[in-house]
Amino acid sequence: MKGVGKIVGLAAGLLGCYVFGYAWRDLQSGELPSGRALNALVGVKQSTANASPEQIFRQNYNRILADYVRPVKSEELKYAGMEGLMASLGDPHTVFMPPQAAQAFRDETQANFFGVGAKLQPDPMGALVATVFEDGPAFAAGLRTGNIITAVNGKSVMGMEIDDIVKRVKGPEGTTVRLTVSQKGKAKPTIIQIRRARITTPTVEGKYLPEKKVGYMMVSTFAEPTALQFDRELAKLEANDLKGLVIDLRSNPGGLLETAVDMLSRFVSDKVVVKMRFRDGREEVARSYPGQTHNFRYPVVVLMNEDSASAAEIFAGVLKDYGKATLVGNHSYGKASVQNVFPLIDQSSAKITIARYYLPFTPYFGRKVDEDGTFLTGGIEPHFKVSLDLNKDPIFGDLKTDTQLQRAIEVALSK
Amino acid sequence: MSEAKKSIYAAGGVVAAAVMVVLGSNHRDKIDLGGADAGVPLGGLVASREKQVNVPATDFFHTLSDKLKREYVEPVSDEMKLATGAVRGMVGSLADPKSLYMDKDEFRAFLNARQGRYEGIGADFVLKMPTTGAKTNKEYLQPTPNEESGDPSAPAPVSVNGASEPAIPEAPRLMVASIVPGGPADKAGVLPGDIVETVDGHWVYNSSLLRQFKEAQKKYQAKKMTLLEINALRSKLRAKYEKAVLPLRAKDKLALGQAGTVKVVWERGKALRTTDIVRGVSERPGFRVEGDTIRLPFVANSAARLKEAIAGKDAVTIDLRQNVVGDFGAMRQCLATVAPSGDYGVLVNERKGGDTALRIANGNANPPKITLLTDATTRGPAEVFALALSSKGIAKLSGSPTGGDRTFYDVIQLPDGSGYTLATAEYRPKPNVAKTTVAVKGGRP
Repeated sequence: MKGVGKIVGLAAGLLGCYVFGYAWRDLQSGELPSGRALNALVGVKQSTANASPEQIFRQNYNRILADYVRPVKSEELKYAGMEGLMASLGDPHTVFMPPQAAQAFRDETQANFFGVGAKLQPDPMGALVATVFEDGPAFAAGLRTGNIITAVNGKSVMGMEIDDIVKRVKGPEGTTVRLTVSQKGKAKPTIIQIRRARITTPTVEGKYLPEKKVGYMMVSTFAEPTALQFDRELAKLEANDLKGLVIDLRSNPGGLLETAVDMLSRFVSDKVVVKMRFRDGREEVARSYPGQTHNFRYPVVVLMNEDSASAAEIFAGVLKDYGKATLVGNHSYGKASVQNVFPLIDQSSAKITIARYYLPFTPYFGRKVDEDGTFLTGGIEPHFKVSLDLNKDPIFGDLKTDTQLQRAIEVALSK
Repeated sequence: MSEAKKSIYAAGGVVAAAVMVVLGSNHRDKIDLGGADAGVPLGGLVASREKQVNVPATDFFHTLSDKLKREYVEPVSDEMKLATGAVRGMVGSLADPKSLYMDKDEFRAFLNARQGRYEGIGADFVLKMPTTGAKTNKEYLQPTPNEESGDPSAPAPVSVNGASEPAIPEAPRLMVASIVPGGPADKAGVLPGDIVETVDGHWVYNSSLLRQFKEAQKKYQAKKMTLLEINALRSKLRAKYEKAVLPLRAKDKLALGQAGTVKVVWERGKALRTTDIVRGVSERPGFRVEGDTIRLPFVANSAARLKEAIAGKDAVTIDLRQNVVGDFGAMRQCLATVAPSGDYGVLVNERKGGDTALRIANGNANPPKITLLTDATTRGPAEVFALALSSKGIAKLSGSPTGGDRTFYDVIQLPDGSGYTLATAEYRPKPNVAKTTVAVKGGRP
C-alpha cells in the first residue's frame, strides 16, 4: 500500500508540475489561468448552445470569408474586426492599431525630426515663408520672409498639402535639405542649402494692439519653456497701458500638464487644478503652486476652438472654474484622458484610455463620438460662442479678419 | 535506502518535475498561439514566440476583450457589444454599398420593409455610385472613428494646392429607389430617382464638389481663373463641409421614426426641390390580384399564392414595379411556380468555387404566357425574376428597363437585434438566343 501511495504521490507531483508549466505565464503576470485555457487543457470544447460573443465574432468572420462575393484577405478582415471592436466603446482615443499603423505611431512619438527655423504657409506655388527665426539655420543660409519654396531636394512641391511640404523640409538632426526658392526681385530661383538643427520654437507670441489697448498672446503649445515664455511676454505687454488680455489657445493641441499647472499658478494659488482618476478608483491630484500668483489688473479672456485639446483645455477649464478668465470661441476638443499603448504579439497595438482628468467644478468633458466618429458631446463650453467667418479668409490674430478675436476684445473691454 | 540511491531518486525527481513544467508550458503555448484546441484554425498559423506571429482571429478577440476589461478606465461588461462592433468593423471594411451593417433600429426597419411595412417618409433607398463600377471608400460608408481621422463627415480640408493626387474614391449618393404609395414621401411629390442633397440643413457628403474644386485649382494654376474666384469656391466648399453628413446617417433620418418633420432638398436632374415631410407609418399592398394583373412581393408565402393565382389561366400579367426589396429564396420559389426546370443564368462571384448557375428544380412544365411590367423601380429579387424569365423567353417585359440592381445578398441577424447584408453574387442572365434584337441592358448601372 505504501508503494502505491508513493507512486500516486509522485504522479500527482508530476501532474502538478505540468499544470504549473501550463499556467506559468499567467502566474508571471499575476493572474490565474482563464477558464477557457483550463478547459482546453482537459479537452473540453466551448459550448455553442447560446452563442458567446466570441462565437458570434468567429461565425461572422468565417461567414464573410466564405460567402462574400469577392475574395477577402483574412488578415485585413481580422484587423478590421479588431478596429470595430475597440471603436464600439465610443472613445476616439481607445483604438486598435494594426502592425503598420502601430509602427507609424511609434515613429511619430519617438523620432526626433528637426527643422530649419522657419514657419511655412500654403501658397499656390508651393510654400510661403511666413516667419524666419533669426537665430536659426534658415536665416543664416539666406532664407527670408516672403520667399516662396517651390521645390525641396529637387522635387517640386507645387500643389502639395502644406503638412507634406513641412514633412519634407524636416529631417534628422545634422542632415541637409536643399530648397529651391523664389525670391522677390530675382528672375531665377535660388538654391538654398540648410543644415537641420534642434530649434527652440517660441511657443508664446505676444502682440500689443494699441487701437484697443489690449494685449494679445498666442500660446501654440504647452511645452517645457512655455511658462517662462509666458512670463516674459506678459512682462513686455504690461509695459503698455493694458485694458485687457486675450490669451489665444486656438489649435493648441496641449502638451505637458506640468506646464499648464505652472501657468495656472500665476492665476490661482495652492488650489486643486485637476484630478486624475484611474480604473481602480485610484486618484492623483495636481495643485497649483502657492505664492506665485500675478496681479492681473485687467480682464483676461481665453480664446479656444475645437482644436484646443488636453493641457490647453485644462488651462482654460480651470480658469473658467475659478472665475479667473472668460472663455470665447467654440467648444474645445474634449481630450480629458490618458492613454497607454499595449503592444500585442503580432506587432499591432491597442491604445487604451486608462485614466480620466477631472476639473475642479466642470463635469467630465471627455469627447464622445457616435459609431461613425461624429462628435456627440464633449469639450469645454465657452462663455461666449463665436465662430470664424470663413468668407473673410481669417488669419489668427488679425483684427480685420479674425471675428473670434474681435469678440474676445469686445468681451474684455466690457468687463 | 542508501545515500547514493536517495540522491539519484532526488535528482530523477527534479528532472522529471522540470520536464513536466516545460511540457505544460509548451502545451499552453500551442493553445495560446493557435494550436488545434484554440478554435477554428485559420490560414498561416505560426506557433512560435518570434516576431511575425499570425494570431488567429478568435484569439485576438479574446485577448483584446480581456485587455479592455482589465485596463479600460470604465468597466467593460457588455462583451456582446464588442462582438457586434467587431462585425460592424468587418462589414465596413468591405466598402460595399450593398453589404451594410445595421444597428438595432435600422435592421428592424429593414426587416419590416421587406414585409411591406415602412416608417419614416415611406420609401426605399439605395446607395448609388456616381460612376459605374467606381470603388468607394469605407470612410464614406461606415468609418471607424479614431482621433487621427477626426470627424469623418468633414474630410481633410482642401488647401489651395492639392493637384497631383490619385483619383478621389467616390462617395455614394443616397437615391430613392421606390416610393410607398400613399406614404409621406408620395404625398410630398417625391419620385423614384430623386437624390437626397440636404437633410435638415445638413449637406449629404458627395465627392462631386471636391472634384469641381480640384478642376478649378488646375484652371487657377493654368491662369484661367482668378484668385478671387477660386477663393469663393473654396469658401463655398468649407461652408458645406462644416455641416456635412454621411449618406447612411442621412438615410436614418428618412427611413426611421414615426414622428417629426424632416426638411429635405432633393436633386432631380439639374433642379433642386425642397420638401417638408412628416414621418409616419405606411404600408405597401401585399400580394394582390386585380383583374389579370398580379402584384407580387417576394415574401414567404408568395409562391403559394402565385400558384393559386395562375391556376387555369393561359396568360397572366405580373406587375414588378416599385419592387425593390424582398427575399431571394421566395423569389426562387416563385420562379419554380411559373417556369420549367432548368438553368436561368449565372450567379457570378470571384470566390474560389467559381460561378454557380441559377438553377430551378421542380419547375412548372406548363407555365402560362407571362407579361412582366417593369421599370427602374424593379430591382433586387424582382429584377432577377424579370431577367431570368425574359432571357429564356418565358416572359415578355413591358415598360422600361429595370433598375440595374442584380446583387444577391444574405441577411444575417445578430443576437442584439442588429444585423447586416452580405453580397454573395451578381446575377447575369443568359444572353437571349431566341430574339435577335439588341439585348435589354437593364437600365442605369
